[in-house]
Amino acid sequence: MLSHSRCVTRNVSRFIAVISQGNNVLARQAVSGLSASRSVTVNNPAKCGARSSVFQIRYFRTSSACRNEVITVKTPAFAESVTEGDVRWEKAVGDSVKEDEVVCEIETDKTSVQVPSPAAGVIEELLVPDGEKVEGGQALFKLRKGAVAAQAAEAPAAVAAPPPPAAATPPASAVGPIPTTMPPVPPVPGAAISATPVSAIKPTDAPAAFADGRGIPARTEHRVKMNRMRLRIAQRLKEAQNTCAMLTTFNEVDMSNISEMRKAYKDTFLKKHNIKLGFMSAFVKASAYALMDQPSVNGVIDDTTKEVVYRDYVDISVAVATPKGLVVPVIRGVEGMNFADIEKTINELGEKARKNELAVEDMDGGTFTISNGGVFGSMFGTPIINPPQSAILGMHGIFDRPVAIGGKVEIRPMMYVALTYDHRLIDGREAVTFLRKIKAVVEDPRVLLLDL
Amino acid sequence: MMLRTFSNLCAQSQACFRSARAKSTLSAVIDETGKSGLILKSVSTDIFENLALEDWIHDHVDLQNRSMLFLWSNAPAVVIGRHQNPWQECNLQVMRQKGIPLARRRSGGGTVFHDLGNVNLTFFTSKKNYDRHRNLQVVTSALKGLRPDMDVRATERFDILLNGQHKISGTAAKLGRTAAYHHCTLLCSADRALLSAVLKPTCQGIKSNATQSVPSPVKNLLDEDPTLDCDTIMDSVASQYNTEFGFSSPVTLVDPSDELSLPGIQRMARELLAWEWTFGRTPKFSICTTFELKNDTSICNATLNMDIKNGIIESCDIEVPSDWLPVELSREFSLHLIGGKLCPYQTSVIAAELLRTIPQNKELERKMYNLCRRVVFMM
Repeated sequence: MLSHSRCVTRNVSRFIAVISQGNNVLARQAVSGLSASRSVTVNNPAKCGARSSVFQIRYFRTSSACRNEVITVKTPAFAESVTEGDVRWEKAVGDSVKEDEVVCEIETDKTSVQVPSPAAGVIEELLVPDGEKVEGGQALFKLRKGAVAAQAAEAPAAVAAPPPPAAATPPASAVGPIPTTMPPVPPVPGAAISATPVSAIKPTDAPAAFADGRGIPARTEHRVKMNRMRLRIAQRLKEAQNTCAMLTTFNEVDMSNISEMRKAYKDTFLKKHNIKLGFMSAFVKASAYALMDQPSVNGVIDDTTKEVVYRDYVDISVAVATPKGLVVPVIRGVEGMNFADIEKTINELGEKARKNELAVEDMDGGTFTISNGGVFGSMFGTPIINPPQSAILGMHGIFDRPVAIGGKVEIRPMMYVALTYDHRLIDGREAVTFLRKIKAVVEDPRVLLLDL
Repeated sequence: MMLRTFSNLCAQSQACFRSARAKSTLSAVIDETGKSGLILKSVSTDIFENLALEDWIHDHVDLQNRSMLFLWSNAPAVVIGRHQNPWQECNLQVMRQKGIPLARRRSGGGTVFHDLGNVNLTFFTSKKNYDRHRNLQVVTSALKGLRPDMDVRATERFDILLNGQHKISGTAAKLGRTAAYHHCTLLCSADRALLSAVLKPTCQGIKSNATQSVPSPVKNLLDEDPTLDCDTIMDSVASQYNTEFGFSSPVTLVDPSDELSLPGIQRMARELLAWEWTFGRTPKFSICTTFELKNDTSICNATLNMDIKNGIIESCDIEVPSDWLPVELSREFSLHLIGGKLCPYQTSVIAAELLRTIPQNKELERKMYNLCRRVVFMM
């Protein structure tokens, strides 16, 4: 509101200046500095001295008949005995510009001078390549005056320079903080793990919804080419689906004990380790424990050599959804870590992901993946294996549910967990035992201590 | 005269509009004072906030009949000129390691390193009163006022030299439609080791027509005279400014994060932070370089050719000897980089995905991993 009224103030005050100055303005030559002597070479024989004189002429010539006329705009004179500068184009041929909008900047000797458009119109031709030298008074660009008709050109332009969907993001939006509390690392819901959650592929340039101006939504569509990375990931997922015998087993976990433990120790934990204690560390540790117990879940089939590779270490990939897409940083050597170490690592990786600083070594590898759909409120679902691994654990939301405990109905905070696994390598019994072990550890962390 | 009356009137009516608000905007306040010269000093050391404030003043304050001096300094940052190439001007990896942000200002000129030992001075005037030599005279006179026998001189290129050889100040300017600003730095007690470490190119082989910085030997004023610290110098410049232009303005503190008195400034700061501005505004350029790849058993030389426009990789060709790495793999990597930003993070994500698709061959994976890391390192 303020800036609008300020604009009004300026325009009105210019008008007043025009009226009060009358005919004297043309006599007053700008002394030093960059005189706005853009000689617009049409219908304006007088050399414009001060800036306001152009507006003066503009206001008085409201009914000028120059529609669709092409004018040549020249380089303004330079200040302080400078003879030349480099042109840096802001606009391209075919761009529509408003009056006064900056078309290019000329850099002379550490100074950046803006060259605004003398009128509204469309850029017809750029007479100097970007970065080339120009001298004062040299012809700079051609402008076709008049109303802009390039609406249709904009839609293909938006498609032609497509930010790949994986990278499509409003530039100013900061990456949302990865919550490090419950649950600390929010990944994609237990659906396809691809470079971008489908929901993040927003149309980069949604066409005007009410194109015909009658309040009825337009029934157009527009196409965005899939980027290479997306195609590759799609291909890989399908390959995985075709080679793996993929199926899912479920279980539910009573979160009351772990919630209580967290409540009891969160302050002390925060004080000692300077980070919050979340639920993720429990699940990560439980998974590592179960993986050491069921080595086939930690292994992988090498299709080329027809061997099973069993690994003695556990690297857990945690799927993280960022506005730019899905990333899967890896926590290495979990079998030797305690809850605090795990929380610290998750925290570090979360920070890096938030600041877009994850390196190749942070994301490479992994023997098992955990995906948390609970952050988005998912109740139940089947995650898809993240090739070239053999299994993935899907965590879902924690909801209060009535459960039967000791013959009575009690309300407990419950979470459904899902394990999708490759049946070529992992038997049903192994998969169910694996999941039950995770359940046991999370429901009672003392199991870890006693190695049960 | 008529203009000023009008804007005062407007300020008053605006004050009526916003009777609920405690204060009016900075421009309204400035107009109300009726002063023709003002000195502002920023309370913030955030480079983006301060640059946004410069832009805000340039866009919103009526500078036809008044001038302003703005004093500011920043936590460590590298600031490149409007039309420069950050990959050519500064070492982005070192900056990332040390948490030093990169900012692109709107005025032309070369690259500078800012830290709390570096004072920034911006002279705002109308286009008519734009006079860089006079502004620099304010600075040299102020310094001479503090130490009469100090040899400080402004050059033809608007640098200030100490003892005729060391550069203590560089200049840049922007000429808008009706107003102009001229800003310069002043090296008081900057960290010179850090300065040299960051003002090196990120990678070799860059061919571009972006504005290039002219490196010069620098020195801190503090090295010359241990009593010359930033605050002393800022105060001296402020009073010399008053003397030179005949103003009588005290130094007013301003907070560049105050959206109420500077409406729209947060959006401006966000624009300056965006990748699309800082990196995306780089004039078209290409990288053509060779690098070494090694693993435990062998070593080889690879070449990289890339064309980058608006920070996006338009074409990419990574050639690795086929006996070291299968041609399909390096080709796949090249093809996947096209259309993406010249950004180490984005490239790391792509590389991690690609690595997962390599058949289970430890050695091959290792080699591909090395290649990916090396390429990311160039960004």
